[in-house]
Amino acid sequence: MISLSLLEFFGGAYFLVTEVSRELWRRPFYSRLVIEQVYQIGVRSLPLVIVTGLSTGMVMALQFGLGLEKFGGKPYVPKIVSLSIVRELGPVFTSLMIAARVGAGITSEIGSMTVTQQIDAIRALGTSPIKKIVIPRVLGCLIALPLLVAIANAIGVYGGMVVAVADLGLDQQFYMQKVYQTILLTDYMSGFMKTFFFALFISITACYYGLNVKGGTKGVGTATTMSVVTSSIFIFVGDYFLTKLFWVFEQWV
Amino acid sequence: MGMIDVRNFAKSFDGVQVHKKVSFTVNKGECLGIVGGSGVGKSVVLRSLIGLEKPDSGEIYIEGEEISKYSEEQLIPIRTKVAYVFQNGALFDSMSVYENLAYPLREHTKMSESEIAKRIHEQLSEFGLAEAESKEPAQLSGGMQKRVGLARSIIIGPEVILYDEPTAGLDPYNSLKIQEMILRLKAKGSTSIFVSHDMPSVFAVCDRIALLLDGEIKAVGRPDELREDPDGLLQKFVSGEAG
Ligand SMILES: Nc1ncnc2c1ncn2[C@@H]1O[C@H](COP(=O)(O)OP(=O)(O)OP(=O)(O)O)[C@@H](O)[C@H]1O
Ligand SMILES: [Mg+2]
Repeated sequence: MISLSLLEFFGGAYFLVTEVSRELWRRPFYSRLVIEQVYQIGVRSLPLVIVTGLSTGMVMALQFGLGLEKFGGKPYVPKIVSLSIVRELGPVFTSLMIAARVGAGITSEIGSMTVTQQIDAIRALGTSPIKKIVIPRVLGCLIALPLLVAIANAIGVYGGMVVAVADLGLDQQFYMQKVYQTILLTDYMSGFMKTFFFALFISITACYYGLNVKGGTKGVGTATTMSVVTSSIFIFVGDYFLTKLFWVFEQWV
Repeated sequence: MGMIDVRNFAKSFDGVQVHKKVSFTVNKGECLGIVGGSGVGKSVVLRSLIGLEKPDSGEIYIEGEEISKYSEEQLIPIRTKVAYVFQNGALFDSMSVYENLAYPLREHTKMSESEIAKRIHEQLSEFGLAEAESKEPAQLSGGMQKRVGLARSIIIGPEVILYDEPTAGLDPYNSLKIQEMILRLKAKGSTSIFVSHDMPSVFAVCDRIALLLDGEIKAVGRPDELREDPDGLLQKFVSGEAG
């Protein structure tokens, strides 16, 4: 049962991806709808992302600072904190928050449009739901998520510094200097590039579940839950493989 | 060959054969009524005529063009020619009434914003909806939503109009208003299919009436023929003995 619906999901999501990549290049292109989505997804998620980033950085600094203190490892805090944020925690935590906030929003919005025949109305009026609904949300996520992750990374590193200075007694200058020495472009990119994949996981999954709602209003709730669960799992699983993949690339450069 | 030709349309849902062999023709300028009990598949037939649903087998011709296997992209010109009036309006609830009506105009015409505004004002006052212009769909009564839905479907001037129970759930006054609208559009030359349970409306607007029963069109005839033939199936459906 589970495996059947998973198979259905893969088939449907694959179909959606091919439709999106086909219709993306055909006129008309609704740039205004894309801008609207970047605003909805990006700007309106900022507070959530700031809180997530800040607390991640602060807790990391605290944990490592206190944990490494007896080994004299406090000076390594800037290195550890900034590396783990930039490579892993910034991209993954931000994406998970967006999967929850934005993914749920997209699925429930599209789902209720499906149930009330508004998606059919888009088709009946000679327009494409892929162009009107799916593409703006996919592009919105692809544009907004990397920007949010960049912000979360910066704020996370800053949060770590606040704790390092206030609670661990490290020098601010020292902290920043260590961060700059540690983080290479490859480190940054290894985390950052993942976010484009995560943005696709989130938006395609959310659109798929919204467009395929069955069973009226009750179905919208189920679909929304499935959407968030599925895209979160894909972020975790995808993270492992993407890390492996980027590791290979890093060995080349 | 008529404006619309449906031949041996068959479709099943979840293993249940809803349509076995539905065939009918609608001539240019004609209004065909399709009546039948709830759940016999009237809406599915209408939706298939603009490709919202695909038949399992059979053919659908729109002005001689077989559309049942068309892709979404190929269907776009069909959908600007053939309008489907949804049973419940299916208005975009994130847009005002004005924006709902502007949608097809912006997509399919080269009209300027001021021409669009003029067209929408005309249409709304013709439908007695002038005061609803800036309202959201959620603020309208069911009857008003239906009228806005009708207005949105026909605003770009389609040749064929498919009405899915346009008078269901309306009070006699509103029902009469819709009938008048349909007759006016017919006088302008539109071809249409009118699906309904509301027999007085069907008799008022349709040139011919078809009875859909057990997955087939069981009887077709002009309203006067049907009135005179007391043994006909349609007569029995009307009187509640069949269907
Ligand atoms: N998407 C669908 N999935 C499953 N079954 C469907 C679907 N669409 C229609 N059906 C089934 O097909 C049958 C015909 O549905 P349809 O909506 O065409 O009936 P109808 O004649 O329009 O009824 P009503 O007069 O109540 O509007 C129904 O039994 C319905 O359960
Ligand atoms: Mg129906």
